Amino acid sequence: MSEAGESPTDNPKDEPSAVQSPPEDIGSNEEKKKIDVLLKAVGDTPIMKTKKWAVERGRTVQSLSLFISRFLKLEPSEQLFIYVNQSFAPSPDQEVGVLFECFGSDGKLVLHYCKSQAWG
Amino acid sequence: MSGAWDVGLGGLDEDAFLQCCELFLQHARSLDDGWSWGRLNGSDEGFLKKTVLVTGKINTEAPDGTSRPAEDLDMLGEDVQDGGPDDAEGTPAPPSAAAVIRYEYHVLYSRSFQTPTLYFRASTLDGRSLSLEEIWDGVHSNYRQRLLHAPWDSITQQEHPLLGQPFFVLHPCRTQQFMSPVLEAARNQNRSLNYIVSWLSTVGPAVGLHIPLSYATASSEPSGLDPD
Repeated sequence: MSEAGESPTDNPKDEPSAVQSPPEDIGSNEEKKKIDVLLKAVGDTPIMKTKKWAVERGRTVQSLSLFISRFLKLEPSEQLFIYVNQSFAPSPDQEVGVLFECFGSDGKLVLHYCKSQAWG
Repeated sequence: MSGAWDVGLGGLDEDAFLQCCELFLQHARSLDDGWSWGRLNGSDEGFLKKTVLVTGKINTEAPDGTSRPAEDLDMLGEDVQDGGPDDAEGTPAPPSAAAVIRYEYHVLYSRSFQTPTLYFRASTLDGRSLSLEEIWDGVHSNYRQRLLHAPWDSITQQEHPLLGQPFFVLHPCRTQQFMSPVLEAARNQNRSLNYIVSWLSTVGPAVGLHIPLSYATASSEPSGLDPD
């Protein structure tokens, strides 16, 4: 379902990698370093071609937001918001690993993103 | 909460505002995270309020050009050097230092926009109000560029409608716009949602106000469904 991700940024190593196949099972007791994130668009926001990403647990919401904004080529005036449970915006400093612990299910974290001219 | 969504697609009426605030406060009390209800004597109107202490950057030069003593924090122990977006015009930024800042946040209902509105003010520990420039320094980097895109429309200084004192305000004119897809999704899925929680979690972090994750699940249910 998911294809190889493009490398839109300077440091492809640091960016979320697209899930090309089901994540390897390294053993049920071992914490995987990356978590699976499913990105869903809200409202008029463009849909990302690649929706499923493997993201380092320590990545912040802000970092992910920046990645999505660049991927979607948002205008400077457009703000991106990310939601868990489709209704709550976690702090930009929040780590996705923590979000996964609290809101993940079926082995993935579903995040909704929405672009908006939120200010002014 | 019948009728809560009958106003503009992204707004809420005043009754719904009060109900959402009450649920918000119930969860706040269980966390003891500092929110309370503010009200003037003899008035029915009220607002959510919270005060926090944060570390941030203040200017150390007084308006008349003399140096203001900077608060010295052993914990931080470093002076924040000047140099930021303001340098673009070529004038040197005023000297600044790290300091403890008191931020006070109020959530009031706006009848004209039919949304909540976030009022805030900040001062140093010795009581000096922060300038607009210093407030902008405190805006979270995740939002800074977009807020700066229309600075005069996004953070403005206004008189607090109930207290009559100067506060900064996150202008609410776009609130309905970004809230409506959130509300619509909840409506379509028959899911209850606390407008205040959704809205405040979205705008609060821009000005230093962070809402703990537990609000995401706790405060849309009426009390009596308390988990252990």
